[in-house]
Amino acid sequence: MSIRPPTLREKKRYVLARIDPAGISPDPKDLYYAVYEAVVSLFGDMAAAAMQPSVLSVEKGCVILRCRRGAEREFAIALSTLSGCRDTLLTLRVLAVSGTIESLRERIAEIASRKDPGDSPKDVVLPSAEGTSEPSLYRFGSEPVDIIVWDGRKVDALEKGFKNARRLFLTTEDLEIIHATTIPDGL
Amino acid sequence: MKITDACVFPYPVGDSSVRRFALEARSLGYDSLVAADATAATICGVNIIPGVILVGVSAKDVQSRAKKSRGTGGILSVQMGDNGFNRAVAGTSGIHILRGIATADKQAFDHVAAKIAADNNTALDIDLSPIIFGRGHLRQKAIHRYLDLMVLHRRFEFPLTISSFAGSVLGLRAVRDAAGLCSLFGMDEIDVQAALAGVSRVMVKGEAAVRVI
Repeated sequence: MSIRPPTLREKKRYVLARIDPAGISPDPKDLYYAVYEAVVSLFGDMAAAAMQPSVLSVEKGCVILRCRRGAEREFAIALSTLSGCRDTLLTLRVLAVSGTIESLRERIAEIASRKDPGDSPKDVVLPSAEGTSEPSLYRFGSEPVDIIVWDGRKVDALEKGFKNARRLFLTTEDLEIIHATTIPDGL
Repeated sequence: MKITDACVFPYPVGDSSVRRFALEARSLGYDSLVAADATAATICGVNIIPGVILVGVSAKDVQSRAKKSRGTGGILSVQMGDNGFNRAVAGTSGIHILRGIATADKQAFDHVAAKIAADNNTALDIDLSPIIFGRGHLRQKAIHRYLDLMVLHRRFEFPLTISSFAGSVLGLRAVRDAAGLCSLFGMDEIDVQAALAGVSRVMVKGEAAVRVI
């Protein structure tokens, strides 16, 4: 198929969205089906055909999507109704819209390197004690929790329950260290 | 102008702590939240307003509860019922918000109840969760109710509030996203801004139209 001249080509726009919660990296194909379902269920087949939604890549906790120029607003509205991908609960936060992928990749690099002033960034995924006999180090309220993701002040933890474990969204101030001692050194 | 999410459910009902809600809300553009069963506080520059929702109580119980909570600084909301109940509650002093119009009957909130709500400065809540998480009939019904609500709002000018009804930070939506969702049922930018400031509007005690001196 021959490539059309620039004046006859369909104009596209690229949308950069952050995936919440942090640490989740869905399969691009599964994410595309979720996005497509969100668009079709809200606006219908006609609008979805005109919008031409597409997922290009998932990288560094962000996703680059594509739509037709002029449909960015409706596309963003449809993305805000997306609540999960397969069995994973997630949300897409639209960060930027651009005409080129390159500028969005620069924005991703900028986000990855930006540090919130006043916080002590700890962008490290700590290994959880799940499945081991090691006791949890932290507690939220009266329950021990396992840290999944620690990103600055935001902490995602796993609450251990009798039936199943659920993900909790906390901050560093919410956590208490189990077995913390105030006995000073030298005693 | 205040930008308020009129209802969130922090831990233990939800899975996010109040602090995390405040942190996320700040990044999404909000400066206050109404949190169910929370204490008043200011966290990360976000005002946390305690909220209570009355569900399945009689109109008499609503009135007694409204008297008890007067002056506490929180938001008292009532889940809508039938038409007679809604009229009675909308006229009760101390009730700030009526919720649940998306799932209420078609005749639950009519022009008489709208007039009473406007006179009493009682807000109607626009819950975005059926539009975000609902599909098919559930979402269609919610959009239809909100379209009808906007017709009454333009006529009688009662306050509106916008809430995400989020039990998790994943359920929060940015101010821009909320405005986009509200545009689906005919709210423009001015309407959305007024609705986001609706909580601060209902918390101010309205003055009577006529004052005898």
